[in-house]
Amino acid sequence: METLEQFINYFSQNSDYIWVQFYKHFLMAAYGVLLAAIISIPLGILIAKYGKLSSWVLAFGSIIQTIPALGAMAVIMIVMGLGTNTVIVTLILYSILPITQNTYVGMKDVDKTIVEAGFASGMTRFQLLRMVELPLAVSVIMAGLRTALVIGIGITAIGAFVGAGGLGAIILTGTNATDGTPIILAGAIPTALMAIIADLAMGWIERKLQPVKESKTTA
Amino acid sequence: MKKTVYKGSIILLLLVMLAGCSLPGLASTSKETLKIGALGTSESQILAEMLSIMIERETEADTELVTHLGSSIVQHQGMTRGDLDITSTRYTGTDLSGTLGMDPITDPEKALNIVKREFVDRFDQTWAPTYGFENSYSVAVTKEFAEKNDIETVSDLEPYADDLRFGVDNAWINRKGDGYDGFQETYFSFGEVYPMNVGLVYQAAASGKMDVVLAYSSDGRIKEFDLKVLEDDRKFFPPYDASPVISNEVLKKYPKIKDITERLHGQISTEMMQELNYNADVKLMNPRKVAEQFLEKHGYFEDAEKEGK
Repeated sequence: METLEQFINYFSQNSDYIWVQFYKHFLMAAYGVLLAAIISIPLGILIAKYGKLSSWVLAFGSIIQTIPALGAMAVIMIVMGLGTNTVIVTLILYSILPITQNTYVGMKDVDKTIVEAGFASGMTRFQLLRMVELPLAVSVIMAGLRTALVIGIGITAIGAFVGAGGLGAIILTGTNATDGTPIILAGAIPTALMAIIADLAMGWIERKLQPVKESKTTA
Repeated sequence: MKKTVYKGSIILLLLVMLAGCSLPGLASTSKETLKIGALGTSESQILAEMLSIMIERETEADTELVTHLGSSIVQHQGMTRGDLDITSTRYTGTDLSGTLGMDPITDPEKALNIVKREFVDRFDQTWAPTYGFENSYSVAVTKEFAEKNDIETVSDLEPYADDLRFGVDNAWINRKGDGYDGFQETYFSFGEVYPMNVGLVYQAAASGKMDVVLAYSSDGRIKEFDLKVLEDDRKFFPPYDASPVISNEVLKKYPKIKDITERLHGQISTEMMQELNYNADVKLMNPRKVAEQFLEKHGYFEDAEKEGK
């Protein structure tokens, strides 16, 4: 009970500080996923078109996923130095697999007969991609971005170790204090909330982008 | 096909550009942002906040804090890489053996002069005047234990050492020179050693989970938990007087920063630092608030206004 009181107290006294870190935390996660998307969506399309590459690329993505985030960050720090850029590069690495994989699956799932119909009506390959395949795959791709963002928010919390700040810094401050549970909560609860809100918001966008709306009612 | 190649190259170019500079929203775009590095301890953050507040008030520059750095080596690497312009707390003993790789020196004056000289010569950085407090490692036990066994100095622990649990800072255990290896050479080994987050050792000692702990002398929790600091009778620990370190390039650009460090020189005694740390670590105040309070109470803002006029 006392912890709760102290938590509310800390939260109200430092709301500005917490908000700044919250904003910074979110920006780092969002940039990481955005930049990863720029690499991974074309990569996913590529491996969907040239099937032989797919197993290699996806295996490579999975290997990255097995490296502990803290270790990866420490290595990247040697090259990139302290601060936010190191965190963003780490996030890009960890986002490659979910986004590439979902793009690949989304593209593969497009009904072949539709693509053939488009091809028969004289569409170029680029037109097919832009007007047929991508619109049909977009909701699956969004699901990949959603996963990447939620993972990313978690990884960003570790970024405090490389001097990037964010809500992880508040958690670390709490671990240094005696009975720092209120401070730890002041860092951890907003982090969790951010992940939940990001998940809900991305889920909503995903549903909005669902190409065949009627199928929802029939399914 | 040509079009896709073209598009791809644009995307790549954009990416390279983005990676090269800092992303909008995460760092202020003006070049006048000074980065102040701080360790994970409250002390380091409080002092970083003090420097930040004063620099922002008295110079044109903006500041940004880079906190929770793991060790003084990380701070130093940040400085030499240019990721940091100022580091808020550097301790003579730590940097003498860690960064400079020299033998520990027990005379505080001599140690200070050496780091001052070496930092200019080797790294073109200024070791600013000391804050006035010392944050040395000190071996501490509970008062109860000390009284029961009549212990005053670290050597007095030797007969009991094999059965004692020793709680230490993660960063200390592998340090060269003044770390545990050196400690064992000068003193003796303890039965079991538990490396942990330094914030935990005080409570661990008070609650009886640890028998002996390695405490920081400027930490407010020594008093809070009623611990007794033992005398370092074999003079193992070198002096750890705290100073900020500033890159000379920044000092040239903002000579005012030199005044600021001189005005803070000798103003924070070890007792004062204990109190400030206590506010942050036990009362859970934000380091920035602690720093503001200190500066306000000791009239730093008034001085600046007078000088301004």
